[in-house]
Amino acid sequence: MDASLEQLRAEAIAAIAVAADEAAIEQARIKFLGQQGALTALSKGMKDVSKEDKPRIGKLLNDVRAAVTAALDERKAALQGDADKAAFAGVDVTLPGTPAGFAGKGTLHPITQLLDRTIAIFRRMGFALADGPDIETEWHCFDALNTPADHPARNEQDTFYMPDGRLLRTHTSTVQIRTMEKAAPPVRIIAPGAAYRRDEIDATHLAQFTQMEGLYVDEGVSVADLKGTLEFFFRELFGNDAKFRFRPHFFPFTEPSYEVDIKTSMLGATDRWLEIAGCGMVDPAVLEAVNTKRGDRAFDPEKFTGFAFGFGLDRLAMIMSGTPDIRYFTNNDQRFLAQF
Amino acid sequence: MKVSLNWLRELVELPPTVPALVDLLTMAGVEVEGIETTGCSIANIVVGEIQESVQHPNADRLSVCKVDDGSGTPRQIVCGAKNYRVGDKVPVALPGAQLAPDFVIKVGKLRGVESQGMLCSADELGLPATLGARGAEDGLLILPAGAKPGTPFSEVFHSDTVLDFEITPNRPDLLSHYGLAREIAALTGRVAKNPLASLTEGNVKPFARIETQLCQCYSLHRIEGVTVGGSPAELRDKLEAIGLRAINNIVDLTNFVMMEIGQPLHAFDADKIAGGIRVRMAREGEEFLALDGKTYRLAAEDIVIADDNGPVALGGVMGGEASGVTTSTKNILLESADFDRASIRRTARRLGLHSDSSYRFERGVDDATVVPAGFQAAARIVEISGGAVTSRELGYSDTKADDQERDSTINFSQPHFCSHVPFSHERCRRILGTDVSDERINAILASFGLKKDGSEWQIPSWRGGDLWREIDLIEEVARVVGMDAIPAKMHARFAGASATDRNYDRAMALRRAFVAQGFHEARSITLVPEEPLGLKFTQTDAASLLRVKNPMNDDQVVLRPGLLHGLLTAVRDNLRAGAKSMRLFEIGRVFSTQRPEEFSHAAAVLAGPLSERNWRSGEGRGSDIFDLKAAVRAVFGEGVTLDPEENPALALSLVVKANGKPVGFAGQLWPANARALDADVPVTFVEVDLAALWKAAVPDLAKKYREIPRFPATSRDIAMLAPLTLQHDSIAAALAKAKEPLLAGVELFDVFTDATGAKVPADKKSLAYSLTYRSPERTLTADEVNAAHTKLKERLKTELGVALRE
Repeated sequence: MDASLEQLRAEAIAAIAVAADEAAIEQARIKFLGQQGALTALSKGMKDVSKEDKPRIGKLLNDVRAAVTAALDERKAALQGDADKAAFAGVDVTLPGTPAGFAGKGTLHPITQLLDRTIAIFRRMGFALADGPDIETEWHCFDALNTPADHPARNEQDTFYMPDGRLLRTHTSTVQIRTMEKAAPPVRIIAPGAAYRRDEIDATHLAQFTQMEGLYVDEGVSVADLKGTLEFFFRELFGNDAKFRFRPHFFPFTEPSYEVDIKTSMLGATDRWLEIAGCGMVDPAVLEAVNTKRGDRAFDPEKFTGFAFGFGLDRLAMIMSGTPDIRYFTNNDQRFLAQF
Repeated sequence: MKVSLNWLRELVELPPTVPALVDLLTMAGVEVEGIETTGCSIANIVVGEIQESVQHPNADRLSVCKVDDGSGTPRQIVCGAKNYRVGDKVPVALPGAQLAPDFVIKVGKLRGVESQGMLCSADELGLPATLGARGAEDGLLILPAGAKPGTPFSEVFHSDTVLDFEITPNRPDLLSHYGLAREIAALTGRVAKNPLASLTEGNVKPFARIETQLCQCYSLHRIEGVTVGGSPAELRDKLEAIGLRAINNIVDLTNFVMMEIGQPLHAFDADKIAGGIRVRMAREGEEFLALDGKTYRLAAEDIVIADDNGPVALGGVMGGEASGVTTSTKNILLESADFDRASIRRTARRLGLHSDSSYRFERGVDDATVVPAGFQAAARIVEISGGAVTSRELGYSDTKADDQERDSTINFSQPHFCSHVPFSHERCRRILGTDVSDERINAILASFGLKKDGSEWQIPSWRGGDLWREIDLIEEVARVVGMDAIPAKMHARFAGASATDRNYDRAMALRRAFVAQGFHEARSITLVPEEPLGLKFTQTDAASLLRVKNPMNDDQVVLRPGLLHGLLTAVRDNLRAGAKSMRLFEIGRVFSTQRPEEFSHAAAVLAGPLSERNWRSGEGRGSDIFDLKAAVRAVFGEGVTLDPEENPALALSLVVKANGKPVGFAGQLWPANARALDADVPVTFVEVDLAALWKAAVPDLAKKYREIPRFPATSRDIAMLAPLTLQHDSIAAALAKAKEPLLAGVELFDVFTDATGAKVPADKKSLAYSLTYRSPERTLTADEVNAAHTKLKERLKTELGVALRE
């Protein structure tokens, strides 16, 4: 029995190796594995195998069946590969491109559309764009933003780390530091970008989200400037019926700090407050951290004050468009994208 | 943190309504996350006893009851419930009781019988439906037999409102009922009742066994002869209202004091302590069985309270199982201490062991409260569990050696200030951007317990953690003044475009160009699996991948090296969702271990028919690499070329060049790879490095005018039989090399091959070109055109060996 099985295996594999086309492969399959095939015939002999040999022979039978099946699949794939190669061998890719003509409308991603509107509004107010890396140092993400190690607001569990100890920024406030390291006051920037949080993904949470950061540092910047700037911005975005409240809050890197709540028909909320942004006056400790890094007094808190703000674009886009699940923004379903 | 309003009301006068209180605190920066009401506070509901119940004469399902409501005159009420017996006590809604916004009880007739009120179910009173309803959930709420008719129902089911506050990490002083009462008092101009006010002074012996600087202060009260048992109802009610489980009178009291004044306490069974208690750092690897029943492996950074046998508590975090108070405990040691914030946080975080105690210590407790809280708690324990305080010990980590022997008397009545902060009213006004008078500022700061001392302010002990700079005091003023009182100042500055601005504008221009080509913009997560789709097509070195150390799952491990994973995943998912035609692009950040680490790419995928079926034509032609090529040049500009490239990972592979410099790649997947994405149509893609693109071909902001032809053009066709391997590029190059001044355009309009060799030899292809001739100066004559055309045809024949078909 063993010998016949081994012989069958060898025969089958040899036959399959020379099968020249799909039909030949199918013939080989019928010959060895079919209902009237060689392996089926051999397996009928199982009833004559002694009790102690049964498990071993049974296993061998299965092995041979698997080996032959694998050889068939492999040969099929190889033939397909050869056919594919042949099909593409004569293709002249230098032939001119063929302009497709009218093919239906393309669309910008809803987040891009919102982002572009927000950037346009801030540019009208004299803000320039700034940028910083997604992979950040702990210093830029926490320490420089007045969140030293062991601070209750420094939540390492929610942070993605790199093997070298750096991290994926948990907020775009890092760009405040990156910008002030290089520029001198006045600094008046906005910084859209990705931020990361090690959070379970669900209808309202993604591991990655899009934030808009803002910073203005100059002589004589006050809470009144902060209020004027954000109110103007959100009225431009949501219309003049928008109502705001600035609710005192706590962020390590601003003081005083506020959360901005809004009521507006555009967000479908005329009777309840929606929290949409965090903001505040840049904490003197942040300016001092920048000075220390720069090795000068360019951002002397005795002379300069500033405000900073940040808000999430995904949540705003969700509310504005009525999208029920944040995952639609990254699933790239064309039926969703084509709506915007 | 949960706060019971009944409890809070004992400490300070509250605003008249819950919404007013919530609004007051919210606008002062203390956020309310949840409001929960327990019990029943509806007016005009009393306990009633059912004295008689008879069948309603006109309705099978109704009964007519006589109910004693305590007034002396039985009340007749029609009732539909069946679960009561005569003699039961039930809630009675008297006329005037409002059970819902539009449901007020009135005297009226039900099927001709007068009903002077309503007997209520739990549900109708806003109580849990299962409560006291004998047999039927929709039946009457059956009250305990001892309830006295006429008693207001709210006295039977005490009503309380529990607010859940989000206390920000800078305000540990608000982590207690008294702390919140103090804040409310400051905001409303009232005075809060200090639960520790009755303490005047106390005597202590020195406690000398603090062996670490991380325990600033440690006190122990020894109480002998206590009787451990259930807590008084009032104590239980308070703890249960805020979600704490009542355990026994000793433990409950320590929890009560913590929740009332914010100082965590711990009680040991004194008879289970071997030798004396000491405060020390744990030994590396020392084991400790905590009250939660779990054994923790300690590290040298943990503070422990230990006896001669080892740790009996993890300082500030949790007590030990072995030394806990049980029903057989007779003598206790009550600890009130202060531990280093950072140390508690590290320990709690490392062990994943977070308690109400560690939560408060890691944010900081009021160091002036540590000692009186111990005294207060000891006195209350004696009150509710008997026994007597037999000794009190107190030590500080920084006590000088010669003070450690002396007994001392502590005076509790002095107000505690912990520091001085300089303050300028002018600067405060400048930062707020509004005029606030000196007097107003002074009044605000004083309301929070600060004391003016010349140009400086003294800070009360409970605010030492967050009020230590001028800006911290300015924030207090800002909180009270409120944003409404601050004008909105509108002021702008000129802002020149930054490099980021330019890149943003260029990327947006590309996005709009893609959209004009009918592409939808995709945005994908930048974290991708260990083996992102498309990695092998682009021949990216796996060693250049950047991985995160602590991924959440296998799908988000690597920072994407390119945009193909997201786009090919989208192709697959869209096809599975039934899409036929795919046109997606993405512009975003990609990552590599190479420098620069982060850079921007633009990529697009194309698969399926170019257009959907409509009434004028069938389904559009299937797309392939040549459609992609056209789209790429339409988006990136005519200066971009796509040249063949050797890449066995792809069926067709092209390198994208801008001004001759490689800036990206494009290609068509092998059918086998396409099928893995459930695609039985060609899948083509392009990916371009934007920095390289913009370096090689600086986007043209000021495009130059080219003269529009004024004279007509003439065209001549060339049909030829060329070797199968001869590429169009070579033919175009040969024509260009001729530098024929009249040649204005070359258009390939037909390609034909026949593998069978019947119409065209199998190793040949038939090509047809249309050549356009034009002069900028004059209309060309037929002779001129023919001459030029003949010259070019000859050139093709001799240079490329093609056979022209005339």
